[in-house]
Amino acid sequence: MDWLEGLQLDYGHVIRPLIVGTLVSIVCSVLGCFIVLRKMSFLADAIAHSMLAGVIAGYLLIKITLGREAELGALLIGALLAGIVTVAMVGFVTRFSRIKQDTAIGIMYTGLFALGAFVISIKYFGSMIHVDIYHYILGNVLSVPDEELWLLAIVTSVVLSVVILFYRPLQLTSFDPIMAASIGIPVLAVEYLLTVCTSLVVVSGVQIAGVILVVALIITPAATAYLLSDRLDRMIFLSAIIGVFGFWLGFALATFAGASPGASVVVTMTFIFLLTMTFAPRYGLIADWIRKSSTIPQEIMEDVLGAVLRAQGKSVPISEIERTVTTRNMKIRQAITMLGRQDLVDVDHDQVCLTEAGEIEANRLVRAHRLWETYLEQTGTPEKELHNKAHKLEHISDQATVEYLDDVLGHPISDPHGSVIPADASQIGPDREFVSSLLREGNRASVQRVGALADSFGFKPGDTITMGKRSDGGRTWTLIAEDGRELKLDHEQADSLVVRMTP
Amino acid sequence: MIAKNKTRIQLPGDQSNFAIAVQHLTVSYGPVPALLDISVQVPSGKLVGVIGPNGSGKSTFIKSILGFVKPDVGKVELFGEDTSHTKDRVAYVPQRGTVDWDFPITVREVAAMGRYGKRRWWQDLKKEDYAAADEALEKVRMSEFSTRQIGQLSGGQQQRVFMARALTQNADVLLLDEPFAGVDAATERAILDVLHETKENGKTVVVVHHDLATAAEFFDLLLLLKQRLFAFGPPRQVLDPELLADVYEGNLRVFADLAQSMRSS
Ligand SMILES: Nc1ncnc2c1ncn2[C@@H]1O[C@H](COP(=O)(O)OP(=O)(O)O)[C@@H](O)[C@H]1O
Ligand SMILES: [Mg+2]
Repeated sequence: MDWLEGLQLDYGHVIRPLIVGTLVSIVCSVLGCFIVLRKMSFLADAIAHSMLAGVIAGYLLIKITLGREAELGALLIGALLAGIVTVAMVGFVTRFSRIKQDTAIGIMYTGLFALGAFVISIKYFGSMIHVDIYHYILGNVLSVPDEELWLLAIVTSVVLSVVILFYRPLQLTSFDPIMAASIGIPVLAVEYLLTVCTSLVVVSGVQIAGVILVVALIITPAATAYLLSDRLDRMIFLSAIIGVFGFWLGFALATFAGASPGASVVVTMTFIFLLTMTFAPRYGLIADWIRKSSTIPQEIMEDVLGAVLRAQGKSVPISEIERTVTTRNMKIRQAITMLGRQDLVDVDHDQVCLTEAGEIEANRLVRAHRLWETYLEQTGTPEKELHNKAHKLEHISDQATVEYLDDVLGHPISDPHGSVIPADASQIGPDREFVSSLLREGNRASVQRVGALADSFGFKPGDTITMGKRSDGGRTWTLIAEDGRELKLDHEQADSLVVRMTP
Repeated sequence: MIAKNKTRIQLPGDQSNFAIAVQHLTVSYGPVPALLDISVQVPSGKLVGVIGPNGSGKSTFIKSILGFVKPDVGKVELFGEDTSHTKDRVAYVPQRGTVDWDFPITVREVAAMGRYGKRRWWQDLKKEDYAAADEALEKVRMSEFSTRQIGQLSGGQQQRVFMARALTQNADVLLLDEPFAGVDAATERAILDVLHETKENGKTVVVVHHDLATAAEFFDLLLLLKQRLFAFGPPRQVLDPELLADVYEGNLRVFADLAQSMRSS
């Protein structure tokens, strides 16, 4: 056993604080997960502060009744009582007055803290109390007496056991208290259990960081872990690791710089939190920024498609697209990559051309644009606004909307500038039946069904018809029968004739 | 007045003799429009029900009349004026109050808020403002609660207080989004009576309503909406089974409701 004693002699001043700090960090950061998830952070703060009153009350009580200096007992019992009183009073105030919880906590803990300060500042009591206020406020991990180490060990094992044993009730009451109550979990009892644990943990934490900073030990590692996990069990595990790591690092820094260990530990943990907040892979600021900037708006992709389509089958250099589509060039390149991945364009070095699917998609957009433009013109939009407005509207291009526009406009063939409105290939594909008003000049189709309105024209199912020129401003359809007869139909009559494209 | 697909697009004539004139209104929140090419003219002094399935754009329609959403195409006019100039002529009762129910305010004060728009921000409310509030509370049968804090009421009672507030605004057009949702029969009656009375006073009332069974009984005109305007006219005409089958996609419960309403009327 010589070597152990030797070790203690040499390193005792370091080993003991490290043991204390590790234990406290673990217990604080594990419990902290529940406190953070239940949005009780402020309550932990409250308990830490009101503890002062509890400690003083406990100390005085024992001194007056037993005449003994019982610092540790006073500390423990007083802190527990203070915690429970705080929570009970906060609960009482919120339940029986209209004051909300945050305000109630604010009133109660400052009140209890001040009560402690008030009592201890009275000479008569002050002379009786040998509590080192400075120690309570700043903590001192370097001078932890044996009995406190024991206390800490017990608190740690009790709290960790509670978390393990009552994991499910704690989880459920944190997530959905109403459901928890409905299946018979005593929600209030769980809350008090958690309060007692918090009080115990605060008492332990005070050793390191003092009453003011102990809250950081509870909340900061848990909040850090929260940013990194989607599951409670992992969050608890991570929180413990972060807590311990933060302590060791902070302690090392303090030793190195000759600073207060408590302050150093808290500063370190805060720093770790900020780093995590910035760099966390999913919930971090940078990840968020990357996500936002790497999503390419549908609009840009559609504009790029349109720009390539305008080249009419030829390939287009990227620089050309960047000139016509007005947005950040980086986005355009991303959009091109994305379009390539969706097999809508082929990219060869700097040249972009449409694939077959891309051409269909681009035609769909052109169709939407030109139909919107026609619609806008017919609803009385001033001519010079037409193009820009239609350019915005073409992104509203879902099948139903475009079909509606096309129908209400009477299946126009050209837009106000005289450009042809492409037909919708999916609507008039060879494998489907559709109304004859969708046929374009020169299309040949076989009659499938003849509705009432088209009855008088003498078509029979199986007849082959050819679409002729539209006349009367597009309002009259001309159908050429097999025998060469030319028949004039209006929109409703043409709609009444259901056909199928002949190859 | 059933909207037919095959009608050509028409340019509007003079709109100023209608309470609400909507022309070619298209509103979208994303790539699919919530409202598409809505044109409708609501005469003043009518009680109009807006019906349609969930998500069919009923609330969006109401918000367009309020000028809360920006149309992609088209415009909405109240009495011939663009909605940006008609804030003092419309009152709105939203679908569900999103207020802080613990806010220290009494029922009477809430009702009196309807007069805030009529006063400069530094002016206090006058006696007549409170008189108007009291009168409105009387109408919705909430007078006995006027000194209650707003949170200490049932849902239906809260709904009535917000109606009273809208009445206090004394607007020409009253817009209500599902005021009958989740209220008991007595409240339903009370609300309906008030709506009728408001209409009798020459106001135009537009109500989003989801219950087809009562639609014919409650309203002078119905407006059937599902992204597009499917019909607008008297209930007998709008509650056409074929049309409803189209709009509600054959939802059977709807037809059960309808059959029941036809029997009872
Ligand atoms: N603020 C919004 N952001 C995005 N989409 C919305 C918003 N409000 C409504 N929508 C969408 O618009 C459509 C119509 O909604 P709404 O007018 O609330 O319908 P209703 O009142 O008939 O149930 C729905 O598809 C809905 O999802
Ligand atoms: Mg709605």
